[in-house]
Amino acid sequence: MFGYYLDLALRSLRRNKVLSALMMLAIALGIGASITMLTVLHNLSGNPLPQRSGVLFHPQVDPRPANLPGASKEPPDGLTYLDAVNLYQLGIAPRRAVMSANWLPTRLDAPDSPLAMRTDRATTADFFAMFDVPFVYGSAWSAQDDANHAQVVVLSKALNQKLFGGADSVGKTLVIATKTFRVVGVIGDWNPQPHFYDVDDVNDGGAFADAEQMYLPFFTWLNLPQDYGYGPMRCWGNDPNAGGHDPKAKQCTWAQFWVELDTAAQVDSYRSALKQYSEQQHQLGRFQRAPNVRLRGLLDWLDYKHVVPVTVRMQTWIAFGVLLICMINTVGLMVAKFLRKSGEIGVRRALGASGRAVFLQCLVEAGVVGVAGGLLGLPLAWIGLWMVRQQPVSFAASAHLDLSMLGAALLLALLATLGAGVWPAWRASRVAPALQVKSL
Amino acid sequence: MRTFRQIQPILAALRSHKTAVILLVLEIALTMAVLGNLVFIVYGTIQRSHVSTGVAESQIGLIQSITVIGEQSQGTTAGDLAALRNVPGVTHAAYGGPPLWYVERDPVFLDPSRQHPVAQMYEFQGSQDLSRTLGLHIVEGHDFSDDELPVLAKMSMSKDFQFPVLITRALADRLYPGGNALGRVLYDGNAASRVVGIVDHLRGEITGRPDDDYSMVYEYVVGAQNMGGGFMIRASDPARLPQVLHAAAAALQKADPAHVQNKLFTMPELRAKYFRSDLATGRMLLAIILILLVVTALGVSGLASFWVQQRRRQIGMRRALGATRGDILRYFQIENFLIVTGGVLLGALFAYALNLFLMHRFELAHLPANYLLAGAVALWLLGQLAVLGPALRAAAVPPVVATRSV
Repeated sequence: MFGYYLDLALRSLRRNKVLSALMMLAIALGIGASITMLTVLHNLSGNPLPQRSGVLFHPQVDPRPANLPGASKEPPDGLTYLDAVNLYQLGIAPRRAVMSANWLPTRLDAPDSPLAMRTDRATTADFFAMFDVPFVYGSAWSAQDDANHAQVVVLSKALNQKLFGGADSVGKTLVIATKTFRVVGVIGDWNPQPHFYDVDDVNDGGAFADAEQMYLPFFTWLNLPQDYGYGPMRCWGNDPNAGGHDPKAKQCTWAQFWVELDTAAQVDSYRSALKQYSEQQHQLGRFQRAPNVRLRGLLDWLDYKHVVPVTVRMQTWIAFGVLLICMINTVGLMVAKFLRKSGEIGVRRALGASGRAVFLQCLVEAGVVGVAGGLLGLPLAWIGLWMVRQQPVSFAASAHLDLSMLGAALLLALLATLGAGVWPAWRASRVAPALQVKSL
Repeated sequence: MRTFRQIQPILAALRSHKTAVILLVLEIALTMAVLGNLVFIVYGTIQRSHVSTGVAESQIGLIQSITVIGEQSQGTTAGDLAALRNVPGVTHAAYGGPPLWYVERDPVFLDPSRQHPVAQMYEFQGSQDLSRTLGLHIVEGHDFSDDELPVLAKMSMSKDFQFPVLITRALADRLYPGGNALGRVLYDGNAASRVVGIVDHLRGEITGRPDDDYSMVYEYVVGAQNMGGGFMIRASDPARLPQVLHAAAAALQKADPAHVQNKLFTMPELRAKYFRSDLATGRMLLAIILILLVVTALGVSGLASFWVQQRRRQIGMRRALGATRGDILRYFQIENFLIVTGGVLLGALFAYALNLFLMHRFELAHLPANYLLAGAVALWLLGQLAVLGPALRAAAVPPVVATRSV
């Protein structure tokens, strides 16, 4: 039966080629626009580290004074130096990493080598294992290195290429902020997007910044001879500048902290440990507020921080508005088309076709338009994404069509046109045969 | 008059196609709603990207040069500035940063107790000659004179010290409505400041809000210190700014080899980068606007050509009864005008509703009424354009069609 309906639909569409083409083109444009924006949104709100996102958590505590005008109920994003050190030493989580980022003057360990500013991430040993960072040469530094304030450095593949021509540089030395650092490892391609572990990245790009060029042990970095900034530092109090340049100031949060918790029981016990820690700090008089802790998982954290740019969300809404307009356009054209076939439908009904059969015939015709429009929409979406990639914005590079979006595009096109076809088809199936046959 | 008399039968004919007409009106209304708001957003972005910061943008370049403590250095900031000033083509040089580049923003108070901030202002600070390097236009009072500037090396932060400052006209009007700002004292988080001059404009950022233009400038005399950060030059010839900036960077590196240079850009480059993402969004919205116009035109001309086909016999009859080609052409044009008018009226309502939603969710400004008028005119034109083909085909139907059966 379906084959017959399909044949009827194709005949009907062929009879009025221009109108059919217009309908398909309109659907294709709507699908193209909405799939383009949906793909951008899908990629931006994607999971940056699918294999690890379930076990990574971002602890927060609230060290702010009790009466801070205009303070939000949410604890600060970062930790103060003291809380960072205390939580780092808590030792309940199987793995944890404290971190921040800045730029450091760096040169090769040769007398006339020129200085250049390089982006770096200061962190602790577990960072690499927690975040599944692959190594090309060497390995991460050890917890012992962290404790000893060892002057060791891990390079990104790109920086190793730039400084050492891509050779195995383990054991070589660099001068970073006038101190000599030994290379212990070079990592492979690793650049999770969004840049989840530091969504306020101080370097250009914010949540879609690139991974840093080198990694240093956190406590070594903290003792460098000069202030090169300590990441996104936020302070409170009357004087907005107070302590702005002292990383150990007690009214400034800036350190980022992540833990790995493998089981639900670990998550629960870590959460109560955070509360207990806040309670204890409260009793010591350091925390003025009642325990106000958060322990968000990676995806919850990205959600909370609204990493998807607001313009992208707006454009997605608008693209769906365009699709809606395209659908109304299709409904209008189909109503006209099916109405014109009233005579034909009347004859078919008079010859014994049920209302249901006519309804299905019309719906198949709508479906054919939808599939054709969807197929035509795919290259349009591809062109749309190509145009997005040409835009000089930090997230543009990630705009690619993947298989799941391809399927979504076709499904969306089919559903949209079937949705648009239901009502015209229903009207067509309600044609009174006697009236139509009489007028022939 | 002839045209006018046609309206009655057109409305009667449309009544028998109620569904299709309503859908078309709805489509046009939605198009108008989306179109009006998108054009508003895009136009706002373009307008914003042309707002001046108030400085001599085409002549200014910046070198970010960072001190590295521990590296051997004989350089001084005064020496660095002298080296920059000696580069051919450089008229002024100063230590400090330009607008749009991490300008500090602090609350401003009128009372020394600092209880009630009046506004947030941008603070531009730097060495002697900062205001001349930026090329500020002083409209009241006077520019800094060297003898009144505090000397950084001897700066005693005593409680009653007052920095001489320049403030913008907009900030002056905000702080002292209707009054004279010259000579008045204001406070930021750290220090007291006395207003010596008013500049016409100096915007720290360009977000479109009026407080972009709330700025204060202060200078101090630098000498034997070795400071790192932003070094600005002003070139006499905007066309040669890139070459002059590179020469200046080389001269600075030579004067102070222990510095490490990071960013190097001209103000025009900074501005382009500042608006890059907004303009990219604007371009994407423009693409959506075009798609929308095409789809609506397709809908209008699709339905019109459908109706023309359906009415061939009636058209033939009218021709046979004496209607001219012009009458037929006009019939479809008036029909289209009526439908689009219905769509536009409903669309104005939708546009306001959508604007309210966008204002609520994305902090968009209120949609001015002239955008609706422009949208209506655009849709009328689009409708006429889309219907022209089908209407001409209708006008070409020969009267003899009336005598044939379907």
